[in-house]
Amino acid sequence: MIEYTGTVVSSGMAIGRVFLYKPFVPEIIRSEILDSEVELNLTQFEQALAAAGSELVKLQEKYAALNPEKCEILSAHQVMLEDEEICDGIRRAITEDHKCAAWAIQLTYDTFIDILSGLDDPLIRERTADMQDVHNRLQRCLQGVPESALNCLAQPGILVAEDLLPSDAVSLDVKSVLGILTERGGTTSHTAIIAKSHGIPAILGIKDACTIFENGQEIVLDALKGVVLAQLSEEEMRLSRDKLASCLKDREEAGNYLRREARTKDGVRIEIKINIGSAGDKALEAENYTDGVGLFRSEFLYMESSCLPSEEAQFSAYKKVLEAYGSKPVILRTLDIGGDKKLPYMDLPTEENPFLGKRALRLCLERKDIFKTQLRAALRASNYGNLWIMFPMVGSLDDIEAAMGIVSEARAELDREGAPYRSDIKYGIMVEIPAIALVSEFAAEMVDFASVGTNDLCQYLTATDRMNPELVSYYQTYHPAMFRILRELIGNFAAKGKSISICGEAGGDPAFVIPLIGFGMRSFSMSASSLAAMKRMIAHLDMETASLAAENVLKMSRAQEIKQYLTALSLHLLDSQADTNKV
Amino acid sequence: MAIGETMVVNKTGLHARPAATFASAAAKFKSKITIKNLDTDSKEVNAKSAVSVLTLGMSQNTKIRITADGEDADDAVAALTTLIDAGFGEL
Repeated sequence: MIEYTGTVVSSGMAIGRVFLYKPFVPEIIRSEILDSEVELNLTQFEQALAAAGSELVKLQEKYAALNPEKCEILSAHQVMLEDEEICDGIRRAITEDHKCAAWAIQLTYDTFIDILSGLDDPLIRERTADMQDVHNRLQRCLQGVPESALNCLAQPGILVAEDLLPSDAVSLDVKSVLGILTERGGTTSHTAIIAKSHGIPAILGIKDACTIFENGQEIVLDALKGVVLAQLSEEEMRLSRDKLASCLKDREEAGNYLRREARTKDGVRIEIKINIGSAGDKALEAENYTDGVGLFRSEFLYMESSCLPSEEAQFSAYKKVLEAYGSKPVILRTLDIGGDKKLPYMDLPTEENPFLGKRALRLCLERKDIFKTQLRAALRASNYGNLWIMFPMVGSLDDIEAAMGIVSEARAELDREGAPYRSDIKYGIMVEIPAIALVSEFAAEMVDFASVGTNDLCQYLTATDRMNPELVSYYQTYHPAMFRILRELIGNFAAKGKSISICGEAGGDPAFVIPLIGFGMRSFSMSASSLAAMKRMIAHLDMETASLAAENVLKMSRAQEIKQYLTALSLHLLDSQADTNKV
Repeated sequence: MAIGETMVVNKTGLHARPAATFASAAAKFKSKITIKNLDTDSKEVNAKSAVSVLTLGMSQNTKIRITADGEDADDAVAALTTLIDAGFGEL
């Protein structure tokens, strides 16, 4: 048996065959051909064209009912693929200029991409990303490489990849992915968020995973311990299967708490909300057992689309979520792009330190057009539920003022148009930048609520790039400084009677939240997969224990010490049979 | 040979979907059909190619010329100008 160690980002366990995901990167051979080779190259091109066409037809059939928007994009790709001028251009490049098929395809597509990217109209410029997509598909078909897409796993398996992009997440066939294993990405990377939201066990940061593991090889992904096991003996495999069975049993036990109202053993009500990225069925169904949406990541709407989503598209997505949650609050986070999140169709300048750069609100304040479109859509959707709007990446009171200024502009526009919106929308901030936490007594006066983004707060507080796997040991969520800054923040907001919650990954970690309850926090938001375990822990907790934990944590000076203490405490709580309101 | 001139009326201009609709409508005719952006004095491009139509960067209020040459030239120009005037269902 060989054991590989990585970082657990979504706990659980899986046993299955490796599905190696390697996105196709065309390697184009640029060669001139002889007269005698023209015919062959033309045939190769026509065959690739036919193959790419039939792939697109099949995909459209597959998505017709599932995802009509995706289907429309695929149909646009087919129009491009079969475009007369492009096809004739390629044929001419082969017959007249004597370029080999691959080179002819590349030259022709590049010509059109160059023209389109030089146009003033951003809507048209954005089409170049689609053209690049179609080009890559054609090149892949020319090389006879089958499509290795995340949406067509032949059988359930463990996904092994270098890294996953937000766009991969959209097409991910979640039912067939038993586990995720990647070379890159830290605990708060996109892969981690994807895995958590679908409850898929995941281990990241296993160096050279794509070369170590072979397609179809059976492996054990133990995301309880943080190891991947390969080449197991029969006995070792039996042990792993036993462990998997008991892991599933524990999950089932926690599952009993999913539909219960979250209340501590001594009756204090704790709000448990969910983090969502889209208006999908699973996100809407959670209304039945949560106290609302604590984080609606609006950027997924921008990432799933091939151009900036229109006001109407945003309006209907927001409306859908607001309607489903009725009177329960839905916290919509305005566009959080930049840092590790990029939009393929938006040409953002490359920055030396993107996490310290023009991201999220900073970008929105500059691109007022984009920001205002989103705000207008949100305001209009407010009529259908209980909308709270949250600004990410707020560092100072000036930022709050600037954001609210644009809200006023959007409102004035709607007033002029006679479009209604609710007057009781709540406005708040995401606390990620330590500076705003340290002036939270002033911020609490300006806004209606705050929610802590622990991922970025920890990244900025510890000066650790959370995407860098080499720095995992420096990225200490349990750092004493985190608890100190959170205590102050919670105290300042509670004193003003303003809502304060947490929506970062730590908000779903039962051990981490115990002292926060002691500090006075009563609202937590987390991925769907963390809800049940969190409610189970809360049912076993009493306020005296929470206050004591808060006191003890403040006396501790090291992350390791705090983590060990709180982990032991949460396990001890579950062990104690003192749960009075047992199912 | 038939020639027609008109103006793009739909708000978003001849971007992806309208360009594809336009090109596939043009492809139904036997004539050789070209389209030209009169505002930029572009060259004439193949109206049956959606990507070529896109390259003209035609937005709302852009003046255009459609030229057709062939047996069904008159019908082609009439049908395509009507299509543009109807605003691709965006009006």
